[in-house]
Amino acid sequence: MTLPDIKQLIPQREPIMMVDQLDAVEGDMAKASLTIRADNYFIEEDGLLAEPGLIEHIAQSASAFAGYRAFLAGATVPPIGYIGEVKRFRCYRRPQAGETLHTIIHMGTEVEGITLLKGETRVADELVAETQMKIFMKKA
Amino acid sequence: MIKLKDNYYRIKQMQQDADGAWFRIALLPDCEVYQGHFPGNPVCPGACNIEMLKECMQEAIGERVYIESIKQCRLTTMATPDTCPEVELKLEWKPAGEDRFSIVASLFDSNNLYMEYKGEMSV
Repeated sequence: MTLPDIKQLIPQREPIMMVDQLDAVEGDMAKASLTIRADNYFIEEDGLLAEPGLIEHIAQSASAFAGYRAFLAGATVPPIGYIGEVKRFRCYRRPQAGETLHTIIHMGTEVEGITLLKGETRVADELVAETQMKIFMKKA
Repeated sequence: MIKLKDNYYRIKQMQQDADGAWFRIALLPDCEVYQGHFPGNPVCPGACNIEMLKECMQEAIGERVYIESIKQCRLTTMATPDTCPEVELKLEWKPAGEDRFSIVASLFDSNNLYMEYKGEMSV
């Protein structure tokens, strides 16, 4: 499956792009990834990613998924999504520069523009963060 | 390196007691994050508001803190540096085991509630 370039799927731009690519989409599930660069916006003094960087990465992974669906439906500009709620977020470890985050998004149903989703982020096989989230999507 | 203080926000006033703190905060429209969130449409990233809350917690207790878990964080109204250039942040905490705090916080101004937060941080 060839998926569009990330800039076609999410409206965020540098310095706060927190997804490199959408890797796969299967039904209500998508995979996205980010290799953390040393100059990532959320890197802290100790060289590790701040926890909200993981939240933003999961949100943008979901945004890329929603952007892909919009793209298939013919949208030419990626829709803008806002985080409405973060629930049951856990950070097990702050990843470091050079590591690649692999995130699985399970998208729930959309009700009046609000979508409930679950995200899990791993480095290799290690779960580093997970959360539930509500995203409010605004059509571009 | 992320340091939102004096880039994303500036503390204009702070009051503090044993288990809480209150901040008056200016949101800075020239912060570079708005170049990307979103181009031509500056919106405060929810993740930055959470990081700002963490930095303010550090300011209040004078120690480095880590976000272990967020029970619930509701971003009830969209915040932008134009529509809410000045906001208040209220933080309350209580010990939740060794080296751990349970935190309740809200970000608001006289018109709107922007964020309601419940979670645990460790030192």
